[in-house]
Amino acid sequence: MKQLVVSTPPHLKTSRTTKHIMIDVCVALLPAAIMGVVLFGLNALYVVLLSVASAVLAEYIYALIANKVWKNVSYFGSFWKQFDFTSVVTGLLLAMVIPASVPLYYPVLGSIFAIVVVKMLFGGTGKNVVNPAIAGRIFLFISFAAMTAYPIAKDFGLISVIPPVENDVTTGATPLTGILAGSTVKFTQGMLLNWLFGFGMGGCIGEVCKIGLLLGYVYLVVRKVIKFWQPLLYIAVCGLMTVALNGFDFTYFLPSILTGGLLLGAIFMATDYVTSPKSDLGNVIYYVALGLITAGLRQATGIEVVSFAIMLMNLVVPLIDRFVPCVPFGTKREKKAKEAKA
Amino acid sequence: MKAIKAKYAFHGVHVPDKKALASGKPIENAPEQDVLNISLSQCLGKPSTPCVAVGDRVKQGQIIAEAGGFIGAKIHAPVSGTVKSVTGSIILENDKLYETDYLPPLENPTPDEIKQRVGAAGIVGMGGAGFPTFVKLNPQDKVDTLVLNGAECEPYLTCDHRIMIEKTNEIAEGIALLKKALGVENVFIGIEANKPDAIEAFEAFDFIQPVVLKKQYPVGSEKHLIYACTGRKVAPGKLPASAGCIVQNVATCLAIYEAVKFGKPLIERVLTVSGGAVKEAKNYLVKIGTPLSALLQDNLTEDAEKIVCGGPMTGVALKDLDKTVTKTTGGLVAMTVKETNVEQPTACLSCGKCADVCPMNLMPMNTEFYTDAGDYEMAAKKGGVMNCIECGACAYVCPARRPLVQSIRKAKAEIRKGGNK
Repeated sequence: MKQLVVSTPPHLKTSRTTKHIMIDVCVALLPAAIMGVVLFGLNALYVVLLSVASAVLAEYIYALIANKVWKNVSYFGSFWKQFDFTSVVTGLLLAMVIPASVPLYYPVLGSIFAIVVVKMLFGGTGKNVVNPAIAGRIFLFISFAAMTAYPIAKDFGLISVIPPVENDVTTGATPLTGILAGSTVKFTQGMLLNWLFGFGMGGCIGEVCKIGLLLGYVYLVVRKVIKFWQPLLYIAVCGLMTVALNGFDFTYFLPSILTGGLLLGAIFMATDYVTSPKSDLGNVIYYVALGLITAGLRQATGIEVVSFAIMLMNLVVPLIDRFVPCVPFGTKREKKAKEAKA
Repeated sequence: MKAIKAKYAFHGVHVPDKKALASGKPIENAPEQDVLNISLSQCLGKPSTPCVAVGDRVKQGQIIAEAGGFIGAKIHAPVSGTVKSVTGSIILENDKLYETDYLPPLENPTPDEIKQRVGAAGIVGMGGAGFPTFVKLNPQDKVDTLVLNGAECEPYLTCDHRIMIEKTNEIAEGIALLKKALGVENVFIGIEANKPDAIEAFEAFDFIQPVVLKKQYPVGSEKHLIYACTGRKVAPGKLPASAGCIVQNVATCLAIYEAVKFGKPLIERVLTVSGGAVKEAKNYLVKIGTPLSALLQDNLTEDAEKIVCGGPMTGVALKDLDKTVTKTTGGLVAMTVKETNVEQPTACLSCGKCADVCPMNLMPMNTEFYTDAGDYEMAAKKGGVMNCIECGACAYVCPARRPLVQSIRKAKAEIRKGGNK
């Protein structure tokens, strides 16, 4: 008999590790990414590939420098062994929130900033304070004006013959900007379908095809990566807040949630484990606050602010975690008994 | 009575039960041993004190050690033979005559007689914790409900399952004795849904209410079993008696039946030998003091990586097979590398899965965070570590493989140390 392993219980562990969860997130992002490439053409594909590749490469080079093993060629083996796919997720997410028409060095810059500055310098996986992809987007957004020039997606015209937005520029505002600026968009059923598939919509690569995002949402819920109510809570609160801010005009509800980056942000970015609260109660606070801030800031600024709202709430998460109390099983009964005695 | 479904739900995790390995194997007698080594720590509380001397000849069932304190239990000779040593543990040489010296059988015992007999027969909780049953039968609070634990939620183990279907009538009579001793009205038996044959077997008795428990770990935890069966919650830091309940394992009921009916003390128990690294899984009826090596030695395959005494979720990983069977040993699980998923821990993602599955609604990630930082006060406050039942559900589900139970134990030890100053 060989030497036995001794350890603390439990001696059984689930086979699902961090790596599996991250691969699941990548898979969930694929439908929206593929639709992005279909709708925006080859440039979108280059952006996605460059973003992912530079994110992984940035992590590898950082690891080489941080571990002082840059002369050691065989280090790649051990890097790959502990590679947990978080940087692939970051790169993919970042590409989803970049317009397809940007110069190709944008995604590279954004990925390097996201991985090196936001993630690795704070201590790597699990230690980052804000979502790296969001920080990367904001970094690009406030640096380059081209980040706000959204190309219009191809309109395959299969669903509807009505042009969704009545303007004649090829690049410019997303439909959301139009709504926020007060243009009265006549809402029709055909438009809803166009919005869902992203045909003829302006926007970033991953955010236009809502069907793709919803497919990803279903996949994540089925694989138990996220809880089903988390994005729904955010989206519902944001939609209702927009309605309330516009004098309870319910025609704003669907446009406010089906345009812009709300779905992408709610499903993939706000739900990031590291930068969202740990407890259920904390999560309720987090998503409600996110919804309120997003709707409020959208109304006040007239630009798409989902990423700013998420980054803001990311910074508040440690406070929420500190505030949420731990209530052990059976405590309630004791309280009730005390009240009954009193 | 017709089985009912458990109405009350709590957090938990679904662990693949792997019971099919051994659940079809009938109980068989363990190989006869020439020498038995009986540990003096057979239950919670102080170790027992030997009351025989080296060279004494003892009969099967004779008392060889007295309880070491109020919380403690008597130990009886599992076989007849000669005492070889009494230091540290009692070593008994088996003369293979099996002359018995049992207590007198009781006909129609009074409640007090039953309680006395449970103490005299050295019966302890056989589910794993090993709390002396005599102490448990004399609760401080008024008790109106008896809950039988037939959940056996630990993966691999099937010993309780086997006795429930092979010795249903004996267990039911043991339950009737317990009911009489405690004077309770309601009797529930909680059985996990993966043992339909056991549930059906107990439907035949009209004073027992079988409860079908959801397949979930840790449904066999005392507090959660009470909640699932009765809807009563035991407050943190309180005993089940405070909620008017007493929980007994089915194996304990069998021991009580045998002690009252035949006067036979607790000298043997059923245990499961299972796991991916055994050639053939078995359910053994084994004498207390049998060396573990005798049960496993010829049955192990080459790739045994870990051998666990007890269930794989809460059991102790053994360094070697020198230990012997005690009254609380419910199983021996030999596992391969593939089964254990031994991997290096990675960084915590704050995913909150540990808090989602914690049956006590605690926050293990906070405990670990503050324990690593050396702030045990915050670990107790934010992680609720002192209420932890150490079921291991958090560490099972952790995608980053954090050693959460280890941190929890460290925090508990440090907090207790601080409290005693």
